Amino acid sequence: MTPVIGGLAINLALGLAFVSIILHFFYLRNGDGRLFLSGQRAALAVSLLSILATLILAQLLITSNFDVDYVAHYTSLETPFIYKITALWAGQSGSLLFWLFTLSVYAVITILQNQRSQHKIMPWVMIVMTTVQLFFLILINYVSNPFIPTEADFVVANGLGLNPLLQNITMAFHPPMLYLGYVGFTIPFSFSIAAMAERDMNALWMRTVRQWLLFVWLMLSIGIILGGWWAYQELGWGGYWAWDPVENASFMPWLTGTALLHSIIIQEKKDMLKVWNMALIIITFTLCIFGTFLTRSGVMSSVHSFTASSLGPIFLGFVFLILVVSFLLLFNRKSFLQSEKRIESFTSRESGFLFNNVVFIVMCFAVFWGTIFPVISEAVRGTKITVGAPFFNQVNIPIGLVLLLLTGVGPLLVWRRTSNQSFIRNFTTPIVMGLVSALVLYIFNIRGYVLISFSLSAFVLTTIGFEFFRGIRSRMTSQKENPIIAFWRLIRKNRSRYGGYIVHIGIVLMFVGFTGHSFDSEKEFGLKKGDSEHLSGYSFTLYNVREEERPNHYAYIADMIVADAFGKSIVKLHPEKRIYFHRNPNPERRQPHSELDIYSTIKQDIYSIFNSIDLENEVAYLKIMINPLVNWVWYGGYLFVLGTLVALWPPRKEKS
Amino acid sequence: MNSKNKFYFAISGVIVVVIFWIWWASSNPADEQALVTFLSVEELIDEDHSDRVRLGGLVAEGSIHLDNNNYLSCQFELKEGDYILPVHYTGARPDLFKDGAEVIIEGIYVNGLFEADILQTKCASRYEGDLRDENSYNLDEVSI
Repeated sequence: MTPVIGGLAINLALGLAFVSIILHFFYLRNGDGRLFLSGQRAALAVSLLSILATLILAQLLITSNFDVDYVAHYTSLETPFIYKITALWAGQSGSLLFWLFTLSVYAVITILQNQRSQHKIMPWVMIVMTTVQLFFLILINYVSNPFIPTEADFVVANGLGLNPLLQNITMAFHPPMLYLGYVGFTIPFSFSIAAMAERDMNALWMRTVRQWLLFVWLMLSIGIILGGWWAYQELGWGGYWAWDPVENASFMPWLTGTALLHSIIIQEKKDMLKVWNMALIIITFTLCIFGTFLTRSGVMSSVHSFTASSLGPIFLGFVFLILVVSFLLLFNRKSFLQSEKRIESFTSRESGFLFNNVVFIVMCFAVFWGTIFPVISEAVRGTKITVGAPFFNQVNIPIGLVLLLLTGVGPLLVWRRTSNQSFIRNFTTPIVMGLVSALVLYIFNIRGYVLISFSLSAFVLTTIGFEFFRGIRSRMTSQKENPIIAFWRLIRKNRSRYGGYIVHIGIVLMFVGFTGHSFDSEKEFGLKKGDSEHLSGYSFTLYNVREEERPNHYAYIADMIVADAFGKSIVKLHPEKRIYFHRNPNPERRQPHSELDIYSTIKQDIYSIFNSIDLENEVAYLKIMINPLVNWVWYGGYLFVLGTLVALWPPRKEKS
Repeated sequence: MNSKNKFYFAISGVIVVVIFWIWWASSNPADEQALVTFLSVEELIDEDHSDRVRLGGLVAEGSIHLDNNNYLSCQFELKEGDYILPVHYTGARPDLFKDGAEVIIEGIYVNGLFEADILQTKCASRYEGDLRDENSYNLDEVSI
């Protein structure tokens, strides 16, 4: 019975979405307030029905209702409770419904928050949001419906079960975060289209859009970082970023979104660059839809994509529609958006921001180019080319280093024009610091990108340190505060600026972590019980192999002792070789899986994988990797989140 | 030149440089794995390819032979359509590598033998295929 209600809910939502859009259009034509109210209520109903449908699917998954094809495909009775819920976004139709769910939650918040305060542009905001919902409702109703019943002429006693790779706790957070980010860009996009349509872009609009941008950008960032963390913990190739098409799909809107976060500051402070910002919002939102298309259509084969489906052309059509309509509108409203002001000087903060924007955009273009190159090459020349990680690294490392440099330069530039004296005053110490680190690294025989990256990191950290130092010192003299209070109040008085600096420190730490990658080493070997192998001054001794049966798999566990060059044991590692669905009488259905074990320190990670086991000869085949500085990426990630939260935290309400 | 023009000049300069850089990197890959051509087995055998290529196909039934001395080394036959290609691979084999598995390999074709150094399996059919028949699973054995 419940699957039927779920199906009905998405049916009804589809109809109401049409109704809502039409009501809003009628209101815009004749201004009858009742039409506006009904339109908004219809939009609210669309969202609530979509949320209801998602909750029903979740309930079907939890109760293992195998009459529903989706439930039978992605869960089984043995699937642990938490993964029955995460199965909601494990398959194509479920993840489309989850997209809609996220958008619907956002839509409800948008309606409740802005219905009165932004009365003038709300009809357009809801028209845009509901149109996006409509698109997903059409997909869910007619192309990929999660509520279709199982096609079997027998009672399905058990489902197929969830892919073991997805049975990792990160899977409970990484996709929802990514969705909150992806989907969330619909809000700034809707507000921008609405502002352009109504020719109304006031201070409240600015505040709303900026806060939402920051929030959804944070979600997208966390989603991306968690994705890397999952890949590192679960996929067992020792890295966190492979330039997989789907990783790129999330990285591209992140790049344009980050550019936007910077350039919108110029709009806020100087009322400039509005055309550019609108274009960036449109591009970022389009990239989000394009990313969903890459992930969900199967046009690219990757860890994330599902089987080929008819989704491709529909998605591309939608992407095309968004681009055409939005840019036509932008072109039409050019005179409304244009500003009288011009950038005055080359060495101004404005121009620094603009350079940062250009570099972000070209990096996005480089990623885009590499991602779609195989498709273009096949269409144009008929040869399939695969673009591997080395290509992306080759192209993007220099661009990334330029961005790192700008992270240091930007904050030291002054609005409008930086005088020569202040230029020299601000840059001398950081440049000296950068050069000193370069020299030291050179002496230690470090060259190339590694040298550049580490010295730039020193340069940027010095500039940011200086910014904090200057701010604290001036508060200490003018307000007579002690350093800690001065530090605290400095941040509190100007959250977005100092929050931004904290994010920049996080980025620098991440760059240090990325750079550590060039010192990686690895070795594969087979060991009998009691034997040892050596890598990078460490010895690895296999002292036992255990077997253990657990509820949803059977595990072989390799017990290893890691010792340093002096023979002192450091840690025990226990990588596992698991067989999932081990009780299935059909061996074809059983699935092996390697669960790795990592010893992680600030200096390096010792990463161990149990590749396979030869039961006859009692040999365990293992792979060890030494990955320096990986932890810095995650530490940088924490600071990154902290900094964004500081910037995002609403200021205390002024007492009037 | 006034500062506005200087500014646009600089921005255009940056864009031109980067586009040139991307173009240059596309035609001069730093690493042999950066850009690899994907071929069918038929194309590989018919045409003369000495460069690094990528192939896809099925592992022929019963063709997997593990090296007795080196566990990381193995031979198998890749089947695509009517064409069969002998492959030698060294490295850790993925979990799902077995007879009939759909694989992607990358390497160099030398004297009738394909020396692969990358071996990837496609996702198991279990998540995409039909539900199993009702007798294949004995529910009494399942511990929940």
